[in-house]
Amino acid sequence: MAFLQVQNIKKSFDRTEVLKDISFSLEKGEVLAIIGSSGSGKTTLLRCINFLETPQAGKITVGGKVLFDSDDKSKKSDLEIRKNRLHFGMVFQSFNLFPQYTVFNNLILAPNLMAKEQIKQNGEYMGAKTYKEAQQKINEEAEALLKKVGLTEKRDEYPCNLSGGQQQRVAIARALALNPDVLCFDEPTSALDPELTGEVLNVIKGLKSSDSTMIVVTHEISFARDVADKVIFMADGVIEEEGTPQQVIENPQSPRTQSFLSRFNRFSD
Amino acid sequence: MDQFWNVTSQLLEGFGENCMLFGVTILVAIPLGLIISMGSMSKFFPLKAVTRTFVWIIRGTPLMLQLFTVFYVPPLLFDISFADRMTAAIIAFVINYAAYFSEIFRGGIEGIPKGQYEAGYVLGMKKSQVFFKVVLMQVIKRILPPMSNEIITLVKDTSLARVISVIEILRVAENFSKKGIIWPLFYTGAFFLIFCGALTILFRFLEKKLDYYKV
Repeated sequence: MAFLQVQNIKKSFDRTEVLKDISFSLEKGEVLAIIGSSGSGKTTLLRCINFLETPQAGKITVGGKVLFDSDDKSKKSDLEIRKNRLHFGMVFQSFNLFPQYTVFNNLILAPNLMAKEQIKQNGEYMGAKTYKEAQQKINEEAEALLKKVGLTEKRDEYPCNLSGGQQQRVAIARALALNPDVLCFDEPTSALDPELTGEVLNVIKGLKSSDSTMIVVTHEISFARDVADKVIFMADGVIEEEGTPQQVIENPQSPRTQSFLSRFNRFSD
Repeated sequence: MDQFWNVTSQLLEGFGENCMLFGVTILVAIPLGLIISMGSMSKFFPLKAVTRTFVWIIRGTPLMLQLFTVFYVPPLLFDISFADRMTAAIIAFVINYAAYFSEIFRGGIEGIPKGQYEAGYVLGMKKSQVFFKVVLMQVIKRILPPMSNEIITLVKDTSLARVISVIEILRVAENFSKKGIIWPLFYTGAFFLIFCGALTILFRFLEKKLDYYKV
């Protein structure tokens, strides 16, 4: 069984069917790129995986643990939903940094709250026995993450003083601070000027390693081709085509994929 | 000169009533307004309908009429009357200002982008944590200018309490004018100006304090 298993997801808003039976799987350490035109359901799919939307049907499994199953009618407690969410990290198109906190405090806010709660409940947070010890660990981790995204010198700045690209890199570090199993990106560069896109894509590329599993919804076809292990092309709420970048991007079989990609190739070549 | 000090001390005493009405209204109407705003944002339709109707009635009728209603209607309907006119004034003011504040709070809370909540949720925060740690400070920054406006209006509105014979500053001045001394009536303006001036400085200071971030 694959590390991440998404099965038969269906989602409608009122009478509009946005996702019509979506299934895919992903191995640990793989990068999946989801491409497709606007309105094809890419973002909704990502939001369902992060439990920001509840699908009408389907099943989501990570590392053998069932996180969502529409057949399971028992009502999930708030705590359970929150725990399930932590398997996933999410980077939004519009960054959504907390404006009243410094870069560093954006990173440590959620982990600190989590540590306080878990130490109270289980007497432990990621090996730390006291809140103080946990805080120290969280701080060290946050410093390391800032270094990873190249923003150590912006540690004490407020988000409003950063460029869009820098804000998005902070958002990536913030998502990583909770060590998610799968990191999701919802069009991470769509709100950025072209010259800032590269720095964010480079950070994402730099995260690729054997144990970081990522799903990237993107319009950057060349990025998908270079970084992804797997590409899904979505159209009208279904997976129209899926496979390796070579299969889907270089040699698409479906006419819809072909026409979508031809629009991109016209500009990039 | 003796007359000046005599008038000043009597006006000051009257202004004490205005300040008391102002202070109690602020203290009670702000939390009450927050509760009302929650009601008017509720997903439970009957609660939402009731609170919105309430806000419509309170904002749609004169505060003076509300003062009369609070003061005269309970004694007509039931066998109770206000021993202290100030209590009636406080009740009317609290209800009136809570309704106005609730709309300011609603605007402030609804103006926070959905993405801020979602960012908190995907980081595993509880609803209450998202509200208190993420949203609240942004709401405060947003509502500070309209709140300062409303609070300054409240300072001057307190003089309306004289319609139910609360002996506030304007009432005191009116009593002087009945005795043929007109100038204290205009002198009262100085008291309001100084009070509102101090509030303006306070709010400007608070807004400056929150200047370090943008929402």
